[in-house]
Amino acid sequence: SAFMYRHVRPARSKPQFQDTYGDYPALFKSLPLCHQLKPKKTKFGPLSDQDRIFTNLYGRHDWRLKGALKRGDWYKTKEIILKGTDWILNEVKISGLRGRGGAGFPTGMKWSFMNRPSDGRPKYLVVNADEGEPGTCKDREIMRHDPHKLIEGCLVAGRAMGARAAYIYIRGEFYNESSNLQVAINEAYEAKLIGKNACGSGYDFDVFVMRGAGAYICGEETALIESLEGKQGKPRLKPPFPADIGVFGCPTTVSNVETVAVAPAICRRGGAWFASFGKERNSGTKLFNISGHVNTPCTVEEEMSIPLRELIDRHAGGVRGGWDNLLGVIPGGSSTPIIPRHVCDDVLMDFDDLVRAETALGTAAVIVMDKSADVIRAIARLVEFYKHESCGQCTPCREGVDWMDKMMWRFVRGEAAVSEIDMIWELSKQIEGHTICALGDGAAWPVQGLVRHFRPVMENRIGQYNKANPPREPEIEMI
Amino acid sequence: MASTAATRAAAGAAKVVKPILSRDLDEAKRRVRELYRAWYREVPNTVAVFQLDISTRQGRDKVREMFDKNKHITDPRVIDMLVIKGKMELQETIHVWKQKTHIMRYFHESEEPRPTDFLSKFYRGHDP
Amino acid sequence: MMSPLCLSSSMLRLPVVSRSLFPAAITKGGAATTNNARTATATAAASNLVEVFVDGQPVMVEPGTTVLQACEKVGMQIPRFCYHERLSVAGNCRMCLVEIEKVPKPVAACAMPVMKGWNILTNSDKTRKAREGVMEFLLANHPLDCPICDQGGECDLQDQSMQFGSDRSRFTESKRAVEDKNIGPLIKTIMTRCIQCTRCVRFASEIAGVEDLGTTGRGNDLQIGTYVEKMFMSELSGNVIDICPVGALTSKPYAFTARPWETRKTESIDVLDAVGSNIVVSTRGGEVMRILPRLNEDINEEWISDKTRFAYDGLKRQRLTQPMVKNESGQLVPTTWEDVLTRVAGALQGVKGNDVAAVVGGLVDAEALISLKDLLNCLNSDNLCTEEVFPMAGAGSDLRSNYLLNTGIAGIEEADVLLLVGTNPRYEAPLFNARIRKGWLHNELQVALVGKEVDLSYTYDHLGESAKALQEIASGTHPFSQVLAKAKHPVVVVGSSCLQREDGAAIMAAVSTIAQNARVSSGVEETWKVLNVLHRVASQVAALDLGYKPGVDTIRKNPPKVLFLLGADADCITRQDLPKDSFIIYQGHHGDVGAPMADIILPGAAYTEKCSTYVNTEGRAQQTRVAVSPPGMAREDWKIIRAISELVGVTLPYDTLDEVRDRLAEVSPNLVRYDDVEEANYFKQANELSKAVNQAVLTEPLVPPQLTVKDFYMTDPISRASQTMAKCVKAVTEGAQAVDEPAIC
Repeated sequence: SAFMYRHVRPARSKPQFQDTYGDYPALFKSLPLCHQLKPKKTKFGPLSDQDRIFTNLYGRHDWRLKGALKRGDWYKTKEIILKGTDWILNEVKISGLRGRGGAGFPTGMKWSFMNRPSDGRPKYLVVNADEGEPGTCKDREIMRHDPHKLIEGCLVAGRAMGARAAYIYIRGEFYNESSNLQVAINEAYEAKLIGKNACGSGYDFDVFVMRGAGAYICGEETALIESLEGKQGKPRLKPPFPADIGVFGCPTTVSNVETVAVAPAICRRGGAWFASFGKERNSGTKLFNISGHVNTPCTVEEEMSIPLRELIDRHAGGVRGGWDNLLGVIPGGSSTPIIPRHVCDDVLMDFDDLVRAETALGTAAVIVMDKSADVIRAIARLVEFYKHESCGQCTPCREGVDWMDKMMWRFVRGEAAVSEIDMIWELSKQIEGHTICALGDGAAWPVQGLVRHFRPVMENRIGQYNKANPPREPEIEMI
Repeated sequence: MASTAATRAAAGAAKVVKPILSRDLDEAKRRVRELYRAWYREVPNTVAVFQLDISTRQGRDKVREMFDKNKHITDPRVIDMLVIKGKMELQETIHVWKQKTHIMRYFHESEEPRPTDFLSKFYRGHDP
Repeated sequence: MMSPLCLSSSMLRLPVVSRSLFPAAITKGGAATTNNARTATATAAASNLVEVFVDGQPVMVEPGTTVLQACEKVGMQIPRFCYHERLSVAGNCRMCLVEIEKVPKPVAACAMPVMKGWNILTNSDKTRKAREGVMEFLLANHPLDCPICDQGGECDLQDQSMQFGSDRSRFTESKRAVEDKNIGPLIKTIMTRCIQCTRCVRFASEIAGVEDLGTTGRGNDLQIGTYVEKMFMSELSGNVIDICPVGALTSKPYAFTARPWETRKTESIDVLDAVGSNIVVSTRGGEVMRILPRLNEDINEEWISDKTRFAYDGLKRQRLTQPMVKNESGQLVPTTWEDVLTRVAGALQGVKGNDVAAVVGGLVDAEALISLKDLLNCLNSDNLCTEEVFPMAGAGSDLRSNYLLNTGIAGIEEADVLLLVGTNPRYEAPLFNARIRKGWLHNELQVALVGKEVDLSYTYDHLGESAKALQEIASGTHPFSQVLAKAKHPVVVVGSSCLQREDGAAIMAAVSTIAQNARVSSGVEETWKVLNVLHRVASQVAALDLGYKPGVDTIRKNPPKVLFLLGADADCITRQDLPKDSFIIYQGHHGDVGAPMADIILPGAAYTEKCSTYVNTEGRAQQTRVAVSPPGMAREDWKIIRAISELVGVTLPYDTLDEVRDRLAEVSPNLVRYDDVEEANYFKQANELSKAVNQAVLTEPLVPPQLTVKDFYMTDPISRASQTMAKCVKAVTEGAQAVDEPAIC
């Protein structure tokens, strides 16, 4: 493996996800220290059944209100709401919950941005249910089998930020999910759980479902807001942030489905309970999606910081052909850089440890590739996806991703020069961090992961191609 | 710089001017006569070489006319200068450095003076 | 999976700061900061300035200033493509990325508000790398056709790639090609050159107020267009040619005719409407090649209307190039100036007093006006009229404030309630309309209209079609009176077209009363003016200043023996109005309406061919400059009149332009105070006088003559002679395909 390291670039010094709100580790210092005082945990996972939040993940039970009530949803929601904004925010802050949509921003802090003195504008909660990242399939399971968790979460989160209503922006392709969700919302309205005087708490709260039209970029929060307003789904410039000017010009918070759906459980069982899972600053339980070359692909709720190997072996029946047949893993959905087997051996599935491994947790969608996979082709296909889904608004993404896509398919054939490997690295760096939204970064990272860990494979392919297609001999003898 | 200043200082000091070629008027007149004779002899050649549509007589009349135009000049320096210019013209003519039109320009009627009153200018159509 | 949302349902991305959404939010957005710069400057106290550094150099700026503006304040230009100071911020070209010290990612300078203590590094390694990267991406799919591109020499991409780009390309893939779109006879599109900066889209939706342009497709297939191919139907469409940073949108009439470095530029004034837009006339070899706008914040900002920009080919057609005389068989035959001036002089000497009269048209300059007036006065005639009518009952044209756009074009931006009366400013004065739209968009201007309902590119309350509504407002019985009464900065604009009617005086009186009431109730300071008249022709204000009688009624009543038409082409007076033996002299530059009925034709100069004075509807004197010489035997107008005077025997006392202008200054000093608006403020007196008007308003609706865009293009002798304008009319009525020409390249 020393050979493998030969072309490795200097490691990046900064975390991969620079959050739009600033430097989150610094912000963390202001958090309550209670969960940091407890003895250090060293073993993570497996999660015991009584600690699961999503108890109907596999649809074995009734997803409607009756079944949901049986599972404990909507239990004493009124009391939670009556405890008020500060209490809910505090519990969420104690829980250490970080956004489950990819960037991992501390949720409690994000929600507390909405608690500025009102200037008369209504506030809105927007739930990002536009789950389109290849490999990711966690939100759909929630909406399909546990929609009441989400609706209750909307009410709790909405109360925490004083929102007037929640808009659930659901991916257009999720027809059945949006249908279930709408049925559940109707049930909740009928049971007076939401609407005027929600749960009898005196708080008015509405929930609306808006179906998207199938653009991946609409999962970006400002593009989602644009799309919600009926415009082309193209990301806005930040600042102003949605907490200032969001949907319809009003303060808005956009949160992922999973983030919102775990909020009631945190409030009911206490932030400290939630914080007891996972490493420091990576607390909680998380839905993991394991797909690709494993024996039993699945979506599973697990403790944060569970080792990647254990996650795959325990829940997905192991890698096809055994662990030694593993080529690499994309650990957090298509936009995160791939990691090779030797990194997979001991990496933990949480935000910080994956950043240490020069990748990211993202949406925790683990894509496993065994040695039968053509990794160049796999990454080329991902870049093609990003090329297709780029909104075309800003230059580096519009032009650069298309360029990378064309190059990647040449790399698949090997029809390239070795120097072009450095060039595509440079191009990806020219895109990364220079765009309005994170789609450009998401397109650049898979390529960077490939070059970082699989450069010899690429060089090999080029060599093979050149051997099979030698430069044409001149047809005429030059005198 | 220094030389210019020196010249200026010299001019200021004495009214004696440095002659160009001739020391007095008589010498200048001699040079004029020589130039006139040279032109007078050259005219037939010129008419032939340039194939001018004029007679030798007309050419000589023109030479005389042009000399007469400056006959009021008495400053030997000015006369010398005009003689030098005349010699240059002559040389250009002899060597056929000129073309036919250049010779015929001597015979060209002098241009009409530009109109000065508003109405004439208006009719001519050019700005003041 | 294609995205129907992105591809079709929503063609246009509205600016982030949208009027309909949230006004209070505007001040927070970076976009609005530029638009409200004027007010912001006024209110900003020195105390709340923040200090930032540009390459270590400290500068104090207002909070909310963008990085780009802060850099500009210290004279550091940041390269940009999509940013335009008069448009909302899109931030999508990414050319303006700069590094901020201690900020991890480079920021888009055009959109990012500065924060206290930031050190902006405009030339650091990171900044330069970012620019180089963006430039490489922009050039990747940009065609290498600069040698045949009309933008060559004035292309932002060309210039900035010289400055910031690499000297060679790494792009070995195939380039993208985009189909060209036919968006009318004015704008040529070569969409392969487009860099998707969306300036044109933002111009169309924000300034022009037409939602014709938008983006379709996404990613690398993003295209600018109209979705369904149609004409870009705006009176300001030509401006997208100027704001396009590359050669994607170029001028169709100008295509392949000249290069910017081989033309001579003459700064001049447009006279095709009463706004007096500042223009640059580009000429080459005695021919006008194109007309471009010139910056003037008080008048046209940096825009001009399509008529101003594209009617120049009318200057080369239908021109009167030699003096002509009608012979025995009634044919006009060319002759010499001597002959024709002698005949004119003979005719003028043969009559006396009011048997000679003059009518002046809409394109006549002040120098010609004063010369003609002096000439006729010397002949003891005071029969000098303009074609445009202005009611003389009440104060009439005696008080200057009665016939000016007193608020000023820029002043509209400060207004909060605007009442338009019988006018369609969108086509009568497109740039004034653009200002109204600006106020409506950024300053919550409320607009109301009395008169025929027209599309003004912004919303307004329609108060009624006839002047009855006016009288109701004047008497306070109309609900709108309350709105006016509450206004802080009310403005009333009456169109000159509705004053042409028989009840013009009554309308003027009603408007005067409304304005005076609104002024009193608003409690606004004396310097704020409420009453405005929007003229349609360039000569009218100067003519009224010089004492011309508005309207040709006197001539109809007392037909003169000799009639002098000075550029009178509005068909106000015909042969039928005059006795059979009357003698008509026509002086002008186009063989339009007036020339055919004349006995004698004196060819004059058009506005690009003379140095002359025009006063716009605000009362602002400006001068045109000589860009080319008059064609053939044509002469400057005042010189022709001056020559006649000499032959008649009453020689006018001026031979040069300066002397004419001295005479102008004698009569009305404001006419030679160039680029200055002479204040006029006698509204109260005018209103008192208007009470004497004893005229009933008619019940017919107030219909401005230019209702739709097709009425806009051909309104005067120059634009009527223009083929380009004719094509526009055809394209508007029959569709852009009707005037489609095969592409040359």
